[in-house]
Amino acid sequence: MVPLAIHEFKTHNLLRCSVDDMGMDVESIRKDFPILDRKLPNGKQLVYFDNAATSQKPQCVIDAMSEYYSEYNSNAHRANHTLADEATTALEGARKSISSFFGTSPEQMVYTSGATEAINLVSYGWARENLSSGDVIVLTEMEHHADIVPWQQLSKEKGVEVRYVPIDTDSFTLDMDAFEVAVSGASLVCVVHTSNVLGIRNPIERIVELSHSQGARVLLDCAQGAPHERISFDQSGVDFMAISAHKMGGPTGIGCLLVKRDAMEQMTPFMTGGSMIKTVSVEGSTFQEGHAMLETGTPRIAEAIGWGAAVEWLDRHDMKEIHSHINRIASWTAEQISEIDGITVYGDPTRGDSSGAVSFLHDSIQSQDLALLLDEGGFAVRTGHHCAQPLMDALGVPSTNRASFWLYNTMDEAEAFVEHLRYVVDRFSDK
Amino acid sequence: MDDGRRWPEQLDSIVEEFSSCFDSMERYELLFQYAKRNPSPLPVEEWDDRNQVHGCQSRAHVSCDLDDEGQFVLRGGADAQIVQGLIAVTAIAVNGMSPSYVAAMSPEFADSMGIRSSLTPSRANGFLNMFKRVQEEASSLSGRT
Repeated sequence: MVPLAIHEFKTHNLLRCSVDDMGMDVESIRKDFPILDRKLPNGKQLVYFDNAATSQKPQCVIDAMSEYYSEYNSNAHRANHTLADEATTALEGARKSISSFFGTSPEQMVYTSGATEAINLVSYGWARENLSSGDVIVLTEMEHHADIVPWQQLSKEKGVEVRYVPIDTDSFTLDMDAFEVAVSGASLVCVVHTSNVLGIRNPIERIVELSHSQGARVLLDCAQGAPHERISFDQSGVDFMAISAHKMGGPTGIGCLLVKRDAMEQMTPFMTGGSMIKTVSVEGSTFQEGHAMLETGTPRIAEAIGWGAAVEWLDRHDMKEIHSHINRIASWTAEQISEIDGITVYGDPTRGDSSGAVSFLHDSIQSQDLALLLDEGGFAVRTGHHCAQPLMDALGVPSTNRASFWLYNTMDEAEAFVEHLRYVVDRFSDK
Repeated sequence: MDDGRRWPEQLDSIVEEFSSCFDSMERYELLFQYAKRNPSPLPVEEWDDRNQVHGCQSRAHVSCDLDDEGQFVLRGGADAQIVQGLIAVTAIAVNGMSPSYVAAMSPEFADSMGIRSSLTPSRANGFLNMFKRVQEEASSLSGRT
């Protein structure tokens, strides 16, 4: 059986997909993403299901960055000429839009290259100053390597103890009883908002409450959560929040660390050099304060402007509708593929709070092979350990395939994906 | 290769078999079949850091040696069937040849089979990394003959 091409697939569903059941006009949204019309070299229509790795960018983001380079490219914060003023205004305007989107003030936001640098900034800029031998950091088995390796390095250097909270491999959720034990006496809790592998949202509110009751600060890795949920930094109560732009419609190479005022006062510069100083003489240097002290060198101006455009674009949509739309696709897809012979789904997208990541593995078609065979049908999915090897160890698998959805994906695409996956399994699995 | 051949004679029918495939899916299916009947496997127990091919997305291992007659022997294995199939075809190409022949051989046969063009860049690089590793070992072994 040869699967239908996406353009041939169940045309009666097109009407349903053009206006989502929840009222979201997906077809209109898709028009903002020119790449979604792309055909692959083999002629197949691209179906992009690798959104947890990076999302596609709306045209307004591409235009905003292009406009900066073609009309007012200049360094920010450094000169008095018109272009420099325009660049600085745009950079700081983006900071205002982004911080507002995350429910806080621009003063609490430090531009970084992404969530990884944001976490490293906490490690180098706060933890090295404020933690010492014997202090405890709590992580979870669900963390991305970006939220594990910096703490292992700190542990080597400073002798801090790192505790890992396990997951319950039946429910794929954090073992909160174990968390309550682990957090006792902790100074810092680093936890992922939503797992990039399982799509599971952690009980952040409870984690913050338990952590603060022990006097521990909380670092929340929102790389996966931010594209799916309207997160308010101020309301969340967390002390540090790491965010990447490129998973939420923004460009690569930009992100931020949101920091509570009192925590920022305890920070020292991660990097030193231009831009972050007040004065420099041969005798020594004095530094600026707040986020200015923590942003060294020429900022990523175009990227920040692009991210600002992305959050303004997202702000025009209802995040709850987006979340429901993605959940519906993820839940349906997980149910369908779990019925295919040999496939195991890791995570539970039917819980209703999924970020749209559906991880799965076939028992005889190796994940890299499966990804290639899916790509042949036009379907872009991620394969590997997803930079979460401790979680892979807990699940007892070396890798998974992962289909991850965002607001522009449709049920038609999901149906075509399931159909192609059935075809591949039928043709290539051991029987 | 003195006779102008671009690959050993035993590959002719395989190149023909792959190049006449209807599409990439059929080529992959054929690679799966070659993976299953890998004529020169390297058992998983023998996989170690020394024989691992780096640069492959999946795990691949190759071990090269000479037989009693001084001819080249490649044994290999991979966790992915497509890579294992590529190793199997390469083994058919190089086994029984002199190590100096293997060291000088071109990976062009993969292009003629239509394999490289249907692989993602990382897979194609993985194939080339594996082939380069085999050639390096052949070059080293040719000094022993």
